[in-house]
Amino acid sequence: MATPHASLKLQESLWYKDAVIYQVHVRTFYDSNGDGIGDFRGLAQKLDYLQELGINAIWLMPFFPSPLRDDGYDIADYFSVHPSYGNLEDFKLFLDAAHQRGIRVIIEMVLNHTSDQHPWFQESRSSRTNPKRDWYVWSETDDRYRDTRIIFVDTEMSNWAWDPISKEYYWHRFFSHQPDLNYDNPVVREQMWGVMKFWLEMGVDGFRLDAVPYLLEREGTNCENLPETHDVLKEIRARLDKEYPGRVLLAEANQWPADLRPYFGNGDEFHMAFHFPLMPRMFMGLKLEDRKPITEILQQTPAIPENCQWSLFLRNHDELTLEMVTDMERDYMYDEYAKDKSMRINLGIRRRLAPLLDNDRRRIELMNGMLMSMPGTPIIYYGDEIGMGDNVNLGDRNGVRTPMQWDGGWNGGFSAADPESLYSPLMLNPVYGFQALNVQSQKRFDHSLLSWMKRIIRVRKSAPVFGRGTIEFLYPANHRVLAYVRQLGKETVLVVNNLSSAAQAVELDLKRFKGNILIEMFGKNIFPRIGDLPYLLTMGPYQFYWFRLRKI
Amino acid sequence: MPEGSILTDDFLRELMNVGEVDILVGVPTFNDGKTVGQVVQAVRAGLLKYFPRQRTVIINVDGGSRDGTQEIVRAASISDLRHVSNVNTLRTLHSISTRYEGGTSPGSALHTVFAAADLLRAGNCAIVSPDSTSLEPEWIERLLRPVVRDNVDLVTPIYRRHKFDGLLVSNLVYPMTRALYCKRVREPHPSEFAFSGRLAAHFLEQDLWEQEACQMGAETCLTLSAINGGFRLAQSFLGSRARPEQAPSDLIRALRQTVGVLFWSLEANVPSCSAATESEAVPTIGAEHEVTLEPLRINRKRLHQMFVHGVAELEPILRSILSEGTLAELRQIATVPEDDFRYSDELWVRSVYEFAASYHKAVISRDHIVQALAPLYRGKAYTFLGQNRDASANQVEANVEQLCLTFERAKPYLLEMWNGRK
Amino acid sequence: MWERFVNELSTTMQEIAGSIGQFLPRLMVMLLVVVIGWLIAYVLKSIVRSILRFAKFDRISQDAGAAQFLKNAALPSSTELLSRFVFWVAWVGFMLAGINFLGIAGLEEQISNFFVFLPRLFVALFVLFFGLWAASFFSRAVLLAAVNADLPSPRLISFTIQTLIILFTISMACEAVGIAHRTVLVAFALILGALMLGLAIAFGLGGQDLARRYLERRLQHPKKEEREDELSPL
Repeated sequence: MATPHASLKLQESLWYKDAVIYQVHVRTFYDSNGDGIGDFRGLAQKLDYLQELGINAIWLMPFFPSPLRDDGYDIADYFSVHPSYGNLEDFKLFLDAAHQRGIRVIIEMVLNHTSDQHPWFQESRSSRTNPKRDWYVWSETDDRYRDTRIIFVDTEMSNWAWDPISKEYYWHRFFSHQPDLNYDNPVVREQMWGVMKFWLEMGVDGFRLDAVPYLLEREGTNCENLPETHDVLKEIRARLDKEYPGRVLLAEANQWPADLRPYFGNGDEFHMAFHFPLMPRMFMGLKLEDRKPITEILQQTPAIPENCQWSLFLRNHDELTLEMVTDMERDYMYDEYAKDKSMRINLGIRRRLAPLLDNDRRRIELMNGMLMSMPGTPIIYYGDEIGMGDNVNLGDRNGVRTPMQWDGGWNGGFSAADPESLYSPLMLNPVYGFQALNVQSQKRFDHSLLSWMKRIIRVRKSAPVFGRGTIEFLYPANHRVLAYVRQLGKETVLVVNNLSSAAQAVELDLKRFKGNILIEMFGKNIFPRIGDLPYLLTMGPYQFYWFRLRKI
Repeated sequence: MPEGSILTDDFLRELMNVGEVDILVGVPTFNDGKTVGQVVQAVRAGLLKYFPRQRTVIINVDGGSRDGTQEIVRAASISDLRHVSNVNTLRTLHSISTRYEGGTSPGSALHTVFAAADLLRAGNCAIVSPDSTSLEPEWIERLLRPVVRDNVDLVTPIYRRHKFDGLLVSNLVYPMTRALYCKRVREPHPSEFAFSGRLAAHFLEQDLWEQEACQMGAETCLTLSAINGGFRLAQSFLGSRARPEQAPSDLIRALRQTVGVLFWSLEANVPSCSAATESEAVPTIGAEHEVTLEPLRINRKRLHQMFVHGVAELEPILRSILSEGTLAELRQIATVPEDDFRYSDELWVRSVYEFAASYHKAVISRDHIVQALAPLYRGKAYTFLGQNRDASANQVEANVEQLCLTFERAKPYLLEMWNGRK
Repeated sequence: MWERFVNELSTTMQEIAGSIGQFLPRLMVMLLVVVIGWLIAYVLKSIVRSILRFAKFDRISQDAGAAQFLKNAALPSSTELLSRFVFWVAWVGFMLAGINFLGIAGLEEQISNFFVFLPRLFVALFVLFFGLWAASFFSRAVLLAAVNADLPSPRLISFTIQTLIILFTISMACEAVGIAHRTVLVAFALILGALMLGLAIAFGLGGQDLARRYLERRLQHPKKEEREDELSPL
């Protein structure tokens, strides 16, 4: 039997199951030195804000030196910080300050490829005989691995690119300036573990590993999710557990749940993975005023090992991806959420949460309520806690990456620089602009979205059942109501969501909980005891309830 | 009542209507129809006068009275106050009543109040006794103010008492509590007290209600739990506590409610209470103690008789509880003529500690151990009455203090007995 | 002569060998049964022990005062005692069953008698145990109640109760074992005692307080105005 101490340690090492993660790019948050670009010293200064919000983990997007042709996912040096954001010392300062506040830090790690500016690639392409030649995937022809799909269909024609210097083709799954590393080469694997070790030594609490399905290539396959790729990942996990227990790996793999399942292995590969298909279906269910898309996808979601966790999100730095939906569903989503073609990019919609939901406070609350009550660890994209807007006139996905709006003053409190020199223009329109919508103004009122977000995060954190419990759907006859029961040990929580824009009555079959009293978790008021009859609830438009079941 | 629940559906509905409150006053009753009306009126007046802005509720939990106690409480709703011109109210004041299972057991009554307090998230609670006819509106303020304003977790009362009133408290419960738990709480078994929502939640979590000792003496149990949980304590001077006519002065019941709980609590707390040594005072609002001295006719002779009789008749039982030396001394003083009889502090403390240790070892049925203490207590009461017959208030207090110090000094003896074989 | 002797000897040897040949497998079977019996008894003992531990039997018997009873008799805890008892009964049972296999004439009947007798023994021991326990518990309860109610000669009352319960218990135990059928008669003679026992139990346990108040009212010294109870202990 485990000693209490050991089990405490285990609980502690499962911290990611109870976490509420805040996703932020250092560039967008706060500029401490007035150069128009957010930096680590600025981020450190705003940690108090994040602590007050209630989040307990930060996921930092790439901050490494990079030509920045893919928002930093094209890394040119793994062992340093992009000079615009500060230096390693600043990063360390930020990391320590976060840890002091009980906030963990997960950083981005791009394993699949480097920038073509990376010295490794420069050496590798210098001649066909260079010792680093086989660190990348080279070929004399461009017809190998023909069954592999192209991801960035809007910009790339092929997964092979011609290198005029060494007169051969190199392999790239993303942009042509991002050559893929050759993971068949043990030296490369060792090098990349060295990179991870460097950051683990510094104290980071985990990695979000980017683009993991594509590490290896095999002829005759689609070169995704290969068993050899899993072997590489398992090796990384084993080393991590051995040398740095308690740190986590988060997989970015935009796949169907059944294809994602292998990334959890037997609890010996990834700790967490994004549940990509759920997110668009939450939006779809809301628009359809029907729970079907949501219950359907969660039913298709396989069980995962005890020590693994889904991570859930409403919006992130990328487009609202519609890769994991059927054509019919995609068309519906486009018609409902991106009528204007400029809002679409690749296979998705490049918009933020508030504009997607027509800035309807009730719908924003409902979506956040579902995010926080479904099984998984919720991730909040920076700015969504105050309902920031987007700017579709900025290229690529930069419209959802505008500076954080702190107050109504100069540059929205983001930077002391000239407005023209900011890395990105601020939102200026009368609805979403920084003068109307900012942290300071929302802090002043109890009914602001920010205050409400603080409250819901606090309530969520008060009940471990949300992060760790099981889920079971109730199927009331009213299909506009999505209801489920979360359970962990003795703790039971009933969640009821009204997806409809009109008031609804719903009868829930709660017979097996007979004798329990419902206690609404926000106001903590008592609702009638569950008896033999179906439990009747009436719900306002887009209203949701969290009830704690209690026997007394 | 639904299975496994202590709250009836009707009561739950009433609680739903009440909703969140700031102040909750509980009145446990059992056939108190004569006095409860007066008490509830005073409570209500106190709440309206001193806490007009707070959300308040009066909750009566009844053990199944047949004299209309519940109806009297329910009738004391806001409506019949309307024609009282000098009381202005801001809010609705709910006054609700429920029955609890478990007959007259005070534990069940308090359990119900605690559960209601928890459900209503009452941050400040008070319990008043339905037979306190001398209860004045000010008592509510004196009890609750420290909790509301100063974040105190438990406020115990101090009463103006006759010097010979509450001899079990002054000769055993108070000194022993003080010696073992190092807090000078004058009334460890209060009939009126106030407590915070924090303490109520802590107490509910501990699952003490199933314990027989706690069922009997929930008040003592709460006091000890507050002390041991490191909660903030205070005492508040209330005034004279009128002794109701025909006081149910059942000594055995009183012993079970106080001494039984005290002995029982040691099971869990001996390691911690052996560490602390010096007792500390509890902050007190108002007079530290007030004593009245009017002469009383007391039959001391019978106390002495029952002591002598008890020591002789209970010898086989006492032999299994007490050490040989102590028993021999008791038998020796039992032979002393009444006028020279004296049950010294030292011997009394030693007897009590040996009882506590035997309770721990369960040498015989624990309830029997508690009962067997009764004749010895009578002997001690006899001695106390004689000693203080002509004493002034200060002298009485000094004598009690002396006894407390004896209890404190003898603590190592208790621990020795506790771990020893016999 | 010599031949006859040799003949006899060889016949005897053959007989002995024959009976050994017959006996040896039986002995083996018996040993096997005994060993298996030991194993089963051991398992039974562990099961009983864990059930009792789970049910916190020691605490129960401690609360009832039985622990002290055992301690006085220098016996192990009641859980241990009960599980050991189960072990021995089971094993002895198996041993006897094993001996049965030896086929020794006369023994078989005795052994089957034993098996018939076993459940009765069980019941008798059970009755005895709880009877003795009840006797000490109730006599003490009565003694305390009587002393605290200031009744005359409490010891006598208590002793009477104890004696009655013990007598009753012994007769019941004898009845259960089946020896001394005549004690049934004694038991009938003791019906009066049983009645009194019932009263004692009712007064001692069911309504100690009620009984005491009742008795007080009936038997108290008439000098009511001088009662000490004018002083509230609390």
